[in-house]
Amino acid sequence: MDVAAATILGKLIGAGLAMIGAIGAGAGIGIVTSGAVQAMGRNPDAAGNIQTNMILGIAFAEAVAIYCLVVALLILFVIG
Amino acid sequence: MSEEKSKNRTWARWVVLAAILLGVFLFTGVGLGIKPIMPEVFLPGEKLSETPLFGIPGLYLTNTLIGMLGTDLVVFLIAFFVYRGVKSGKMVLTGVSGAVEALLEALHGMTESTAGKWTKIIFPWFAAITLLVLPANWLGLLPGVETIGLVHEGHGEYAVRDLGSIGGLKIQTIWDESGEMAADAHVEEAAHATEDTHAAEGEEVHAEEEHHGASIVPFFRPVSTDLNFTFALAIVAVVMVQVVGFRALGWGYLTKFWNTKHFFSKPIFGFIDFAVGLLELVSEISKILSFAFRLFGNLFAGAVLIFVMGSLVPFFVPAMFYMLEVFVGMIQAIVFGMLTMTFMAQATHSHGDHDEAHA
Repeated sequence: MDVAAATILGKLIGAGLAMIGAIGAGAGIGIVTSGAVQAMGRNPDAAGNIQTNMILGIAFAEAVAIYCLVVALLILFVIG
Repeated sequence: MSEEKSKNRTWARWVVLAAILLGVFLFTGVGLGIKPIMPEVFLPGEKLSETPLFGIPGLYLTNTLIGMLGTDLVVFLIAFFVYRGVKSGKMVLTGVSGAVEALLEALHGMTESTAGKWTKIIFPWFAAITLLVLPANWLGLLPGVETIGLVHEGHGEYAVRDLGSIGGLKIQTIWDESGEMAADAHVEEAAHATEDTHAAEGEEVHAEEEHHGASIVPFFRPVSTDLNFTFALAIVAVVMVQVVGFRALGWGYLTKFWNTKHFFSKPIFGFIDFAVGLLELVSEISKILSFAFRLFGNLFAGAVLIFVMGSLVPFFVPAMFYMLEVFVGMIQAIVFGMLTMTFMAQATHSHGDHDEAHA
């Protein structure tokens, strides 16, 4: 295998491995939303407040997945 | 009045249907046999000219800079419409000013429930950030954005095709001529079929000689896909969080980071408090990174998603992803503002009070 092909192979595998971190963020967003929906079902009057906090929680959980995505994009499009 | 409106709408429906049919016709090979091409993705903003702006080295006219100017124009237009709406003296605002009023009311309600008496200071930051980021995100969804630009020869893998000229201005497009190229390769393979090694060598040379394709550098790219913009906005937001903290607590705000209150009175817990204070300093810096990468990552990934979907299935399917991107753009604009607002509200709380309340 020549160097160019090996580089491309390594970049593709690396980008794929970097995105493994999105698993945790996906599970986290699911847990946050499930909790928020249950809370809204119990107390519909507080739905607005719960929704605000839910979106904040989702944003924090999503940030981790976005770091993975940025690393993957850097590997694919910037390095080499 | 209403009849006229519904008539206009049915007319628009036929236009949309015609556009869909044109898309199907162009891209399925029924018409010209043009295949959708895979886009080239650049992470930094692409330079439109090689000479630095105003003679300042390192400052170039990039397409994201034009995107910034377009966003500013939209913000100024919104401001103008709202000014006219408020000036007209109507009690119930309509049109653009009414929409902006509804948005600001929602944001103000959110701020009030979180920040309490500091709403007046914190709300303008929340609203300003949201009203800047929202047009910046949504401008990327307009047709023509990221597709119309200068043809950049010598970079890329697609051939240039002339479409004609208007007033001396050449109009070109890049297209995939892989059908013909594949035929060439096939002929060559047949010729060298007997000698495998020779065929491989011949193909390599061929590939190197043929590398003079072209790509398009678009004129306009949404500014949220440039890390410089998101980092600048993140730095502004985090610095202003500190400023709001100082306004609320005075120099006492610094005890959040340099907490020596219980350092000698409670030996172990005092030391833990001090270490937590230092960690707070690190978390302020990581807030900048988190802000910047969240906005950039979401918007850039969205743009790439639309490119890729458009090149795989050029009709119907991208519409769904466009809808997703409208949603993502709105959520990210509100999340950016809301996180700023929440951090500012946290900065107005004295750290000492918080601890005592827990103890």
